[in-house]
Amino acid sequence: MKTLIVEIIEPKRLGELVTVSKEFCDTPDIVALGAGDVPGVYNKAWQTEETISANLVPAIAELIQKEEYQVVLFSASTVGAGLAGPVAAKLSASVVSEVIGIEPDLVVRRPMYGGKAVATYKITATPAILTIRRKYFEPAELEGTTAAETLTIAEPLVSLIAEKQEKSEGVPLEDAEVVVSGGRGMGGPDNFSMLQEMAEILKGAVGASRGAVDEGWAAPTLQIGQTGKIVAPGVYFAVGISGASQHLAGIANAKCVVAINKDEEANIFKRARFGIIADYKKIMPALNNVLREE
Amino acid sequence: MGGYMHIAVLAKVVPDYEVPAGDFELSDNRAHSRYTRMMGLYDENAIETGVQLKEKYSASLTIISYGAEDDIPVLRKAIAMGAEKLVLVTGQSDDASVIAANLKMAIDNLGDVDLILAGQQSADMDRGVVHGTLAEMLGLTFIPQVSKIESENGGWKISQLTETGSRDLQFNGKGVFSITSIPENVPRIPAVRAIFAAKKKPVEKVAEVESNAMGIEEVSVEIPTMDSVCEFLPVEDVGETVKTLLTKLREERYL
Repeated sequence: MKTLIVEIIEPKRLGELVTVSKEFCDTPDIVALGAGDVPGVYNKAWQTEETISANLVPAIAELIQKEEYQVVLFSASTVGAGLAGPVAAKLSASVVSEVIGIEPDLVVRRPMYGGKAVATYKITATPAILTIRRKYFEPAELEGTTAAETLTIAEPLVSLIAEKQEKSEGVPLEDAEVVVSGGRGMGGPDNFSMLQEMAEILKGAVGASRGAVDEGWAAPTLQIGQTGKIVAPGVYFAVGISGASQHLAGIANAKCVVAINKDEEANIFKRARFGIIADYKKIMPALNNVLREE
Repeated sequence: MGGYMHIAVLAKVVPDYEVPAGDFELSDNRAHSRYTRMMGLYDENAIETGVQLKEKYSASLTIISYGAEDDIPVLRKAIAMGAEKLVLVTGQSDDASVIAANLKMAIDNLGDVDLILAGQQSADMDRGVVHGTLAEMLGLTFIPQVSKIESENGGWKISQLTETGSRDLQFNGKGVFSITSIPENVPRIPAVRAIFAAKKKPVEKVAEVESNAMGIEEVSVEIPTMDSVCEFLPVEDVGETVKTLLTKLREERYL
């Protein structure tokens, strides 16, 4: 099937979509968003520096129609979320978002009910637009580059005034092999320093649950869960996190979960490999002490 | 805007999204009907954002929903939070295109809507597709994951949360924004008096219009099994607990 990838130039994200594209075709085409070389080998490549989804909708819909793509792949990201619905409506296409599994003949799986259920769909009409949930597909290694033609964008409707990168020290959350995450059970912003300390020693990263983000204790970019970041570290420390299914959806592929929680009934213990029923204020300093001594 | 602004917020009533996985069961591929019905969590962030804009710009605020009549009592919470009017299109499709077409009809009926807010995604379908589809059907600009909105010189100044931080965007015209959660839009708890007053407000019920569904067939819905067995570590001696934990993590090569 004729397949198009639309994604920001970022090797891991592109790699995941290339992996997914193999279910549908040998070599996909691409619309690469952003500046720089287009990593990987594609049949045809287009490129634009525009990354605001609203400005991209007409050009991408037109391209899908002109080239008669049957499958279009976006990441389930800010850009993908902004493109999927409008492009689908423009083309009367089928859209399945947050895809976590693909079977032959356009059968796809996605979560429902905050990750408590998984639905399987058969797509019966193309073009089909899929947004792919991050970290569920192994990113393909992208070798070489492909020369790209410029994708012409009409007069932009939305203008970018400023872009703020949340400053992150150390390892990016999504790449970290160790993630130390805090939830509402932390009780306040101050004690996140304990998590930071542990993350630094283990060369990992700090995460947070939606509860902690809503309280303003952690930046939104640190949120892990179905509407935050999806992580797949070797070890995930869940500190004061109750383990709502929406949070667990973000750590489905973590190899080992360590839960530290006062409440022995907390749902997180159902996902954890190791559990410590105690106040984190006792456990975390002890953990940091031992790690520092080593 | 000419001094008058009309904001519509899309709200969906869903089964209790806080039911833990262990207690969750399906009936006919949907959540069992025994769970409490409530407003979707991001929908409440969108309503709160709408109420704040209403207060700031003296706008009027209408809540629009597509769903069952039985959910009207739940939707009245939006009135109690500060909306003036509730429009319900009665229908029971889960198809994003059908839902969007019906919401479009309700918005067209209102006629003068300047801004449409929706939750980032519903708390049952977890999809985040309806609002973008609706925007295109209305011929309006769609911006996802919006955290802040200001009316400025007849246009909008918007903050959008991204994977790496945030963006400030600006545009002129009417738009559909999906609202994400930030500490500033945690939904207010309506006063008891407002809840009673909301019970008396009329609800406009509109019959569903016919529209095309997407080419997607639902094959099955299943509850995945969580088969992790947790090994609880003794906590009599905290120093020992953490040493045991680290040893085990290293033995099993997780660390």
